[in-house]
Amino acid sequence: MDHIRRSLLGQLARLSAGAALMPLSSVASAGINSQPPRREGDPTKRYGMLIDLRQCIGCQACTVSCHIENDAPLGKFRTTVSQYEVEHQETGELATFMLPRLCNHCENPPCIPVCPVQATYQQQDGIVVVDSDRCVGCAYCVNACPYDARFINDKTQTADKCTFCAHRLEAGLLPACVESCVGGARIIGDMRDPESQISRMIAEHRDELMVLQPEKNTLPQVFYLGMDERFTTRPLAEPVALEVLDPQGKEMGYEFHGH
Amino acid sequence: MNSMAIELLAPRYAIAWYPWAVQYFFLIALSYATLWLAAPALVFGKEKWLPTARLALLACLTTTLVAPVALLADLHQPLRFWHFYAFSTSSSWMSIGSLVLPLYVVGVLVLSWLAWRPALQANRQAPGLAGLVARLLSLGSSPTPRALLVLVGLGTLLLSTGIMLYTGAELAVVKARPLWNTVWLPPMLVATGFITAAGLLLVLNRVSGMRDTATNGQMLKVLLGACVVAGLVAGSWFLDGINANVGSVAAALDSVRESPSWRSTALWGGLTGVALFGAVLYLLTRPAARRPALFAWAWVLGLVAIHMGWMFRWVVLMDVQHVARNSAGFHHYGIPAGSSGLLGIVGTFGLWLAAVLLIDLLIPWRQARQGGSAVDISPAQPDARSAAATTEGAPSHG
Repeated sequence: MDHIRRSLLGQLARLSAGAALMPLSSVASAGINSQPPRREGDPTKRYGMLIDLRQCIGCQACTVSCHIENDAPLGKFRTTVSQYEVEHQETGELATFMLPRLCNHCENPPCIPVCPVQATYQQQDGIVVVDSDRCVGCAYCVNACPYDARFINDKTQTADKCTFCAHRLEAGLLPACVESCVGGARIIGDMRDPESQISRMIAEHRDELMVLQPEKNTLPQVFYLGMDERFTTRPLAEPVALEVLDPQGKEMGYEFHGH
Repeated sequence: MNSMAIELLAPRYAIAWYPWAVQYFFLIALSYATLWLAAPALVFGKEKWLPTARLALLACLTTTLVAPVALLADLHQPLRFWHFYAFSTSSSWMSIGSLVLPLYVVGVLVLSWLAWRPALQANRQAPGLAGLVARLLSLGSSPTPRALLVLVGLGTLLLSTGIMLYTGAELAVVKARPLWNTVWLPPMLVATGFITAAGLLLVLNRVSGMRDTATNGQMLKVLLGACVVAGLVAGSWFLDGINANVGSVAAALDSVRESPSWRSTALWGGLTGVALFGAVLYLLTRPAARRPALFAWAWVLGLVAIHMGWMFRWVVLMDVQHVARNSAGFHHYGIPAGSSGLLGIVGTFGLWLAAVLLIDLLIPWRQARQGGSAVDISPAQPDARSAAATTEGAPSHG
């Protein structure tokens, strides 16, 4: 992609990181494809996450602990860390880039208005959740999320996604991914509390923070510190291994493969 | 970018909508388009279109009945369909569609019943099951008011525009899939819907033995018109996109550039479309004397048109889901054999075929008309074979 467009996207990324902190309650009005009102959760809080990429070593401890904590089916992830090997074309210098991905708990989440039964909704504390008893499994939200943060859980046959481990937050615990992060790269907290670690870090690094796909106008609330703006959109990269093969050359079976 | 990146590790993101969705979009498009092809005779009283309307009504009712089955099957929790009505959501096009669809289905059912009622009344004395069905369904011998049929027809046509709108808008609002996120997608779905419907009626005209030359001529004209509209829509989409250099055209060009399978799909779609348009134009511009003989082969173009309509929906709904949004490369998808794959595709078509055969067996659909009573149905109504035999100049192929 050309440099001008890239830097424009970078500026957009920074801009929306600031704009996202403003409440977007004005959006909540009836109408096709507009945000339904938020419900449940603590209205005095607004949870967000800051990921300090300088601390991430790509160990996937977050991926594994999330998987165990939330009992996700094999092959599907609420969070995962994309890993890239980047080669400088002139010097040949190699570097790795780690990019933890999860639900961005957007201020303007595109997955919510599309839900035909309001099974997925945003709590007043900003956390986007799914009521799996109401979800009809139409998978519209899975298609509507630009971040691939949602999937159909093969065990429950309903939409599944990161909830910032709302059940743990309620009990005064940290989300599994935050708890297990060896470098302390993931910082979660209430952005309405000026004394919280996340608020202080946002204030300190405001100009450096970036979000993913800012041009989609979703106003993500997962902020990346130490981000390379070329990775805020789908990176220009070659895939290495999309399939893991067994010694017979067949794909290693997932738990529910072939459903 | 003066660096090269390799993505070392990426999960495979599965498709979320299965081939059931293709079947629904295909059948519902056939449903609304055939309704509009039945309308000239049934609603607006154009006698010349009556044979077409009879075929169109058969196609319309059967696809209308089977389409919601495919839609239901695409839900991962089909038994929770009632949640659509318990928790209706004005912000979601899918929810709006769930309200329009049942009304539309009822509209088509009532319209078909009204159009078939005089023939059912005339059929009350028929032996066996057909007579029983006629006695049960005809509900008395009172004449069917023409005005009622027109009224129900107009209402159903109105509801069908709701179906066109919601099925298109449902996809077009999804910003996360740039290929869907264009205002040109809904009109393209409608245009290809009419291409498919005209094609289906050409095929039904042949296999039902009706072999009506006027129907062939009318459907070829509809096919030509729909091809022109589809071409204009596709052209506008492309020009719009390359001038603005954003969104769905950019995504399409990226896909075609990066993936050999997208290249071959684009090439195949383009060539088939142009060939179909050329062949229809050729048939329609032949001297009048040669037309009946040539039109007898129009069903072959009908098959091509059906292929176009189905393939367009497959590419839009399935292939677009393989375009990775966050990871490198394309997601691989093999059509599974089970109910979320091949079995679903074949099963939907099988169900549709069964519906057609049941109606053909039990309902005198060939005598559908714009209201009236049993006495309007001439007992000497020629059956299919003798009607075909009297059609001069149309050789029998098979």
